[in-house]
Amino acid sequence: MRETLANRALTYGLLGLFVLMVAVPLFWMVTTALKPNKDLYEDFSYFPRRPTLEHFVRVIQRDELLTNIRNSLAVALTTTAVTVVVSALAAFSIVRYRYRGREWIGRVILFKYLLPSAMLFVPLYAIVTSLGLGNTLKSLMLTYLSFTVPFCTWMLMGYFRSIPPELEEHAMVDGCSKIGAMVRILLPLSAPGLVASAIFSFTLAWNEFLLALVFTVDQSTMTVPIKLSMMVVGDQYIWGQLMAGAILASIPIAILYFIGQRFVVQGLAAGAVKG
Amino acid sequence: MAMRQRSLAVAVPVPETVPRRPRRVDREQLGGMAMLLPTVLILVGLVLYPFVYSIWLSFSDKAVGSAGRFVGLANFRYVIAWPQFSAALVNTVVFTVCAVAIKLVLGMVVALVLNQQIRGRNFFRAFLLLPWVMPAFVVYLVWRWLYDPLSGLINYALIDLGLLQTPIAFLSERSTAMASVIVAHSWRAFPFFAISFLAGMQTIAQELYDAAQVDGASRWQQFRHVTLPGLYQIIGVVLLLSTIWTANAFEPVYLLTGGGPSDATMVYTLLAYVMGMVNLRLGEAAAVSTLFLPLLVGLVLAVTILLHKKATA
Repeated sequence: MRETLANRALTYGLLGLFVLMVAVPLFWMVTTALKPNKDLYEDFSYFPRRPTLEHFVRVIQRDELLTNIRNSLAVALTTTAVTVVVSALAAFSIVRYRYRGREWIGRVILFKYLLPSAMLFVPLYAIVTSLGLGNTLKSLMLTYLSFTVPFCTWMLMGYFRSIPPELEEHAMVDGCSKIGAMVRILLPLSAPGLVASAIFSFTLAWNEFLLALVFTVDQSTMTVPIKLSMMVVGDQYIWGQLMAGAILASIPIAILYFIGQRFVVQGLAAGAVKG
Repeated sequence: MAMRQRSLAVAVPVPETVPRRPRRVDREQLGGMAMLLPTVLILVGLVLYPFVYSIWLSFSDKAVGSAGRFVGLANFRYVIAWPQFSAALVNTVVFTVCAVAIKLVLGMVVALVLNQQIRGRNFFRAFLLLPWVMPAFVVYLVWRWLYDPLSGLINYALIDLGLLQTPIAFLSERSTAMASVIVAHSWRAFPFFAISFLAGMQTIAQELYDAAQVDGASRWQQFRHVTLPGLYQIIGVVLLLSTIWTANAFEPVYLLTGGGPSDATMVYTLLAYVMGMVNLRLGEAAAVSTLFLPLLVGLVLAVTILLHKKATA
């Protein structure tokens, strides 16, 4: 009895410690964005005494963050739309058709999913500039496919494998074409996997840093991560605006995470990190 | 698996038996290959070609705006002789080993705690996952602010608690910069370890623990002889994956220290970036990446084989 009590105490003690460890930086991000500059740099306080939205206003009006948010959204949404279609077709082809080289392509896809873009940014930069796509959002939409498509294809392959092909075969016996069976049977059944892959490719594209840093150079094409990282070096007293920007940049991801948590867990369970 | 193959054999009749069938099967195969075409184009155009091109670049004197000529091993000789390169090599290894070790231990303890019967477990699991869910650049900007020597929370709180007399410039002193980057990165990435281990722990049968308890095993012995062996495979995969990601991390260093002070946190990805994008010498930048290639490809192949075996098993 005493041992279990000690165990309980240890468990909840550690849990409290971890919650604190995660909560403090998050708390600091949010409260920094809400404190006036005076409270940040002169009259220090742990809690916001005079909460204000001035940093949000300033980061939107003076730093024109909305332009960057629009850029990020355009890139992430385009990448996601293309990725989901392309990966679903590829995964369907690899899992449900039999032809030579199929296994091999599955392996290449996994290899790429693991190969970091740090390895490829130099040649991609040379390619993008030689295509005349330097400093455009198109360069990002194109190159982001190099990691979203392998990731989502790999995940959907796992998902499609988990759905028994008999269901499609029955539909085909009833006169459905193979593609028809995919559209009417497989895709609806794997909706959670498709949602998860859309969430993942959006998140990957929204968060991408290195390629965006290398390919885009001015305000009209910068995505949010690059814009915020440029603001750091500009001004000493920028932290209120930066944290406001950081919160705005986290909102789409937070929304997706809370809407999609169920799908993501299911999708992951079936695919990428198959336990 | 066996079932699937049998049923596929039913769906796709053996071609030789009926003379008209081969064409149909061919057409079906073609349809399948056509669906794969966009992905193949992406893999060839955006992965394979750049990959090969990168290796060619590392043997050329290509700069931005000029066509490159073959220059043999000149880039490699130049890069290796450069003092920054050895700094980057050492720093990359130190950063990777320390960060992965911290994430492993922290992730394991968090998973063990979350695997207990605690009230509100789903909430805590989701909450502790937040650092991993947040955009990485946001995390590192927040940490840069936390570390700020003039108005950062860490310095202020330490002084407030009487643990410190004068503020420390965590990110711009040689003695603390690397450790600070490692801490920030570990904070961001430990949830991946925790959540993977937790998923693994939940597949371990309760009967094993019951049996161990009947045999009088202590908590530690249960962990050592039931939990840990049940997690070996997951630990292996997670360690390899994380090693690859950590060794190639760019954002923590770029956003926190920019490689400074005096290269104390210069890692190879940042060196390649500085070479290519700041000094505009693409050949040397590619050479930096190429030098790290054998290590990376070895790691990636190891995970590829491990995961592929598991997914198709």
